[in-house]
Amino acid sequence: MRQSHTAIIERDVTWTGAFETEPYEAAWASEAIYFIRLLAREGDAARGCARVQISPDGMHWCDEGTSVEFGGDAEVVFVRVSHFGSYLRLTGDLPAGGSVRVMVALTLKS
Amino acid sequence: MTVDSKLSRFSPLERIITFDDFDTGLNGWTALIGNYEDSLDSMLPQYRDLRGPMLSNGTMWDTGSAGSWDGTYAMKLATRPQAGSLAVAVKRLTWRQLGAVQLEAYVTFKPEATQLRLSEQDVRLFGFVFDLQDSRHRVMPHLRYVNAMAGETVGRWQYKSDLESLEDIGGEGKTKSHFHLGPDGWVDLPGERQLLCYNEIATKQNWHYMRLLFDLSDMSFREFQFNDRSYDMSSVSPMVMPAMANLWCMLNLVFFVQTDIDKRAFLSVDSVLLSGSF
Repeated sequence: MRQSHTAIIERDVTWTGAFETEPYEAAWASEAIYFIRLLAREGDAARGCARVQISPDGMHWCDEGTSVEFGGDAEVVFVRVSHFGSYLRLTGDLPAGGSVRVMVALTLKS
Repeated sequence: MTVDSKLSRFSPLERIITFDDFDTGLNGWTALIGNYEDSLDSMLPQYRDLRGPMLSNGTMWDTGSAGSWDGTYAMKLATRPQAGSLAVAVKRLTWRQLGAVQLEAYVTFKPEATQLRLSEQDVRLFGFVFDLQDSRHRVMPHLRYVNAMAGETVGRWQYKSDLESLEDIGGEGKTKSHFHLGPDGWVDLPGERQLLCYNEIATKQNWHYMRLLFDLSDMSFREFQFNDRSYDMSSVSPMVMPAMANLWCMLNLVFFVQTDIDKRAFLSVDSVLLSGSF
C-alpha cells in the first residue's frame, strides 16, 4: 500500500503582499498537491497567485515552475507537483489592497 | 541468540503498546490544535499556530542527508522562525489497565543552519508530555529540557505541576481549554544540570536516548533517564486536575520544541517505544 500524508500548512491565515509558507520535507513522497481553501477574498485578490518552490536544503529556494491563481469563485484551488526532491513551499504575491484568508493543505503520496 | 536490532536498543516493559519507527511513516503522530467551538477564533491564541510533524531525512546544506539513527527518516518538528514559536506532535491512545507505562525515544535537536555559527543557544527547549485521565483526574506529567533561555545556556530538565487557568470555549459549556505548555511554573529536576552532545557546528547532530517510567496506578513519576543520567523523581509531581467530560482512559503522547530566537528550531525523533506492565 502506498504511504500518504496530509499536512496542514496554514490554518485560517490571511495573506497580503508577498507571502511564503513554512518549508515542508517530503523526500519520501513522489507526488504532492497543495490545496488552498480560500475562506475570503478581499480587494484585487483575483490577480494574486501562489508558486511552488523547491530547495536542496530548506533554506535556498527556486521556482518549480507551477503556480495557481486566486481568481474566479472556486472555494478550493490546487497546484500539483512531482519530482520535487526533499523540500516544498509556496510563495506568492497579492497586489496592493488585495488579501486572501486561507487554509492550506499539502497532500503527499509515495 | 537472535537479536532484533530494531528493538535491542530499547528496554521495554512486559508488553509493547506501540513501536513507532519513522522509517515506516508518521505512525499516528499528528499536529496539535487547541479546542474550538463554532469558529477557529474561539481557540486560545497560543494554540492557533503550533507547527505539526513531518518526515525528514536530515538533509544539511553542507554535507547532504544525515538520515536517522538506523534508517533514512525521523519525525521532525520545526518551529516558525519567530522567537517563542512552538512545534508539537501528538499521538492519541487510550489505556486498558492502570499500570506502569514507559516511554522510550531516540531524539536530537538543532537550529536551522542559516548561519555559519555554532548557534548552540538558539533552541530554547524541547520536551515530552503524557496526557492521561482516570476515573477521577486528568493528569499531565510534563518534562522539558531547557537548552538556553534569552541567549544563556541553561542545560536543565524541568517539570511542571502548576495548573494553567481553564477557559471555557464557545457558549455551550461542553468544551474547555488550558495552555499547559505556557512558560510559567516550571521547576528544575533535582540534581546537576545536564549538558548534551550538541556537537561543534550547526549541521552535525547526535542522537540521544530518553526513558520515562510513569505509573498509572497512582499517577506518579517513577524513573526518568536521559542518556547516562537518571533522575530522582520522588519529589516530582505531574499536573493534576478534575477529570474532564470526554477524556476517559486517555493516554496521549506529546513531543514539543520551542525556538529562543527568530530562527527555526528542530526536534527530530528517530523512534518511539511505549510499553506497559499489564
